[in-house]
Amino acid sequence: MSDSTIQHNEDSRDVTFRVHRFNPQVDSKPYFDDYTIRLEKGITVLRALNYIKEHVDASLTFRAFCQAGICGSCAMRVNNMSKLACTTQVWDELDKCREPGIIKVEPLRNLPLIKDLVVEMDPLVEKMKGYSNWVDSKMPEENWGRKEFPVSEAEFLKYDKATDCILCASCVSECTILRANKQYVSPAVLLKSYRMNVDSRDSMHEQRLAGLVKDHGVWDCTHCYRCQESCVKHIPIMDAIHGIREEAIAERGVKDTSGARHAEAFMEDIGKKGKLVEATLPIRTNGVVWTMKNLLPMAFKMVLKRRTPPPPPLVKSTKDIEKFRAEFREMSGHVAKDHAKKSGE
Amino acid sequence: MKPFDIVIVGGGGAGLYAAMEAMKTNPGLNIAVLSKIYPNRSHTSAAQGGANAALANKAKDDTVEMHIFDTIKGSDYLADQDAVEVLCSEAPKIIRELENMGTPWSRLEDNTIAQRPFGGAGRPRCCYCADKTGHTILQTLYEQCLRKGVFFFNEYFALDLCVDGSRSRGLIAMNIKTGRIEAFPAKTVIFATGGYAKMYWNRSSNAAGNTGDGQAIAYRAGISLKDMEFVQFHPTGLRKSGLLVTEGARGEGGYLVNALGERFMSRYAPEKMELGPRDLVSRSLETEILEGRGFDSPAGKYLHLDLRHLGPELIKSRLPQIREMCMYFEGVDPIDEPIPVRPTAHYSMGGIDTDNFGRTGMEGVYAAGECGCVSVHGANRLGGNSLLDILVFGRIAGRAAAEEAGKFNPSPISETEVTAKELELRSFMQPSGHYERYGSLREDLGHTLGMNVGIYREATKIRQGIEEIATLKERFSHVRVFDSGDVYNTNLLQVLELRNMLDLAETVAAGALVREESRGSHTRTDFPTRDDINWHRHTTYTLEGTGPRLGFKPVVMGRYELQERTY
Ligand SMILES: Cc1cc2nc3c(=O)[nH]c(=O)nc-3n(C[C@H](O)[C@H](O)[C@H](O)COP(=O)(O)OP(=O)(O)OC[C@H]3O[C@@H](n4cnc5c(N)ncnc54)[C@H](O)[C@@H]3O)c2cc1C
Ligand code: SF4
Ligand code: SF4
Ligand code: FES
Repeated sequence: MSDSTIQHNEDSRDVTFRVHRFNPQVDSKPYFDDYTIRLEKGITVLRALNYIKEHVDASLTFRAFCQAGICGSCAMRVNNMSKLACTTQVWDELDKCREPGIIKVEPLRNLPLIKDLVVEMDPLVEKMKGYSNWVDSKMPEENWGRKEFPVSEAEFLKYDKATDCILCASCVSECTILRANKQYVSPAVLLKSYRMNVDSRDSMHEQRLAGLVKDHGVWDCTHCYRCQESCVKHIPIMDAIHGIREEAIAERGVKDTSGARHAEAFMEDIGKKGKLVEATLPIRTNGVVWTMKNLLPMAFKMVLKRRTPPPPPLVKSTKDIEKFRAEFREMSGHVAKDHAKKSGE
Repeated sequence: MKPFDIVIVGGGGAGLYAAMEAMKTNPGLNIAVLSKIYPNRSHTSAAQGGANAALANKAKDDTVEMHIFDTIKGSDYLADQDAVEVLCSEAPKIIRELENMGTPWSRLEDNTIAQRPFGGAGRPRCCYCADKTGHTILQTLYEQCLRKGVFFFNEYFALDLCVDGSRSRGLIAMNIKTGRIEAFPAKTVIFATGGYAKMYWNRSSNAAGNTGDGQAIAYRAGISLKDMEFVQFHPTGLRKSGLLVTEGARGEGGYLVNALGERFMSRYAPEKMELGPRDLVSRSLETEILEGRGFDSPAGKYLHLDLRHLGPELIKSRLPQIREMCMYFEGVDPIDEPIPVRPTAHYSMGGIDTDNFGRTGMEGVYAAGECGCVSVHGANRLGGNSLLDILVFGRIAGRAAAEEAGKFNPSPISETEVTAKELELRSFMQPSGHYERYGSLREDLGHTLGMNVGIYREATKIRQGIEEIATLKERFSHVRVFDSGDVYNTNLLQVLELRNMLDLAETVAAGALVREESRGSHTRTDFPTRDDINWHRHTTYTLEGTGPRLGFKPVVMGRYELQERTY
């Protein structure tokens, strides 16, 4: 029996924080430090870390600013999930500990480590720049300030949720593709790109879209939902990803998309090498059938107007490659026909 | 090293607008924005309510003139009327400009920008984007700065100005990620470092870094500050963190209750009860606590904001955000338990003394945003006028600096100056016998200010506050930085921020003592009324020796005569 159930209703108790430490000036590799402190119920993880810094170990390093879940500074991994330390109650985390009473605290993944719990954010900013994550106004700058663009509340609602993003990078840290390919566009950047692309005031939809369908772009997403599950603002990130893909198909056509090319190349790769390389990570993590249904033919599915099934449980085996090829050929056939019909209209 | 044309310190709304406007004015300029946090994390993102502008989208009869009057009256007649005129007449233009560059706004049925009523405004003129207006404005400005290729030095901490007689040559800053001390020679510098209300520490709704760095740097360099005694309090901050529980909770029918179980507002506002004006409610809570009817806790005395009688349905449907906040930050579900609250320091009206172009007392140095004091807020800021202030005066300062930058070539910043700064910082890490921890100093400072220079002020208490601040400064000379590393040394940063707060706290207390009247946010129990004959003027503070020398400045009047401020 874990003692966390027993002590759960107590107003104060001892809690251990097992914190990731790394100082590049002295450490050759990261290690963990345990800090056990007595805490009152109602304390957040950030306040506990502040307490440790002030009273136990002043060198413990993390970012924090607003302490109110607004600024996005304090994202870190707590008990193996990326979240904001300032909105996370210690008492809630006690339920999620692998070892009773020990809360594990680590830096975000998929971004370079600077020190202890601090990671480098510049790669994310660079991607925002790379994918033009801004509105390029249809109005010339010299005319700004004179009159409003008329925008309906309905249009505003299209990007309302997306503009909740505080760039905390929790989703970036949880993204499966980023773990294998750091050049991948990133969920938060896809979300922002989508937000810009549905804004009628913007003048560079097409250019942005062209960037998004290139390598490391929107077609690389494995559709694993990790980003959405970890989003601290509960933003439906997958809607944005679907949205971009739909737009890509609609505006650029199935055959023309790198998505389709990607899919073919992917299959060939498996056929030729007979084993999985890094780019085929989604198969390794999610199973062939699922990957087939979700990753490759997203484009085709859009055309066929099928709904996405929920992600099935992880399958480790990769032995149904043959079956996968057969189904892929069949599906490509469908799509080709469908496409021909459409373009004929 | 070639000097920058403009170095902007601060990446909040004011700093980013200044950067954009400067680039627009002269695209050839070499501009740098320094920010101790990534710009998109700045405290501008905390503003939920919105920004005022007489667009007349909602109330067709709204006018700039009415906005001017509301602002002057709200300021308790301490705002400079010419500055207020600039603020309000630029407002519609700046909000449209933000719209044109992509800021998302909530919309009215006729597809124009939505507006809502806000305290102290005669018409619904507060433009908003749901409850995230500051956040979306900041995002848009950051995006546009990235689009324009503004050069950012993210996670750089500004330390001090380099001065040549009456003119600045640039500044020295620390690269937080490497710990390197770097020189930023510059023809012009714009301070946009936000407010100083965090000096009230856990009695403040502000972010941890709203420590008044720009004001303190300017003050140390001999630049005057203005109206520092005016700090706005909000009635319901959470007990532990000071974070805001917005007026919505009382609007829906929440009760304020003391330790005796009384709905105490019946003593102060028998008719309006919990819905009295913000400053009156703040004062009422404070009185209850001072007279011993509050609850006790290690985090300090507090009162209850009780929502339980509203029932789970209403709380869940109408106040979901407030409920979430209470659960996140206080571990309390308002459905089952009352919310522990107390008044919280919210906004700093005072700041670096500037003219209507953002120019300070030193050539080549500008200030804008909450860090500056033009003054448009006088003794009391109206909700929704602060976002407006940072945008309008951020833009003006950006343009003014861009126009001036070409006219001057500063002498370089020497290696010796940089080394001296390095040594100064190193000295915090040198072990000496007896040492102090910054954490307890910071908390004691917040406590002293809250008790002695808080909502209610009175000569003997303020004097005690001044003495305690002096003691804290003495203790600070023994403060020790335990982390001796270079990379991302937040221990050192927090000590430097504390030093800035201590310097500014002295000015707040000095101003509170000298101003023998009650005006706007400044309430003296020993001088309970406004005294226009002696005190209708600004206070200024210049560093002399180790403390502030006080001076006075007339208020710029205009069309509006002094009147009593009643609502
Ligand atoms: C909870 C809350 C709600 C609010 N709601 C509203 C509202 O509804 N309407 C309204 O009008 N106003 C509101 N305000 C006030 C308003 O948000 C602020 O006054 C305004 O955003 C300040 O903007 P700024 O650009 O001056 O500074 P900030 O946004 O605070 O930016 C300061 C910048 O300076 C940088 N900086 C600071 N020190 C240093 C240093 N030493 N070196 C380098 N960089 C440094 C920081 O990194 C940051 O980028 C609210 C305030 C709070 C606290
Ligand atoms: S759904 Fe796509 S973007 Fe989101 S975590 Fe999975 S791979 Fe990354
Ligand atoms: S999408 Fe969500 S998790 Fe990702 S950066 Fe934005 S707020 Fe954070
Ligand atoms: S500190 Fe700002 S989100 Fe946690």
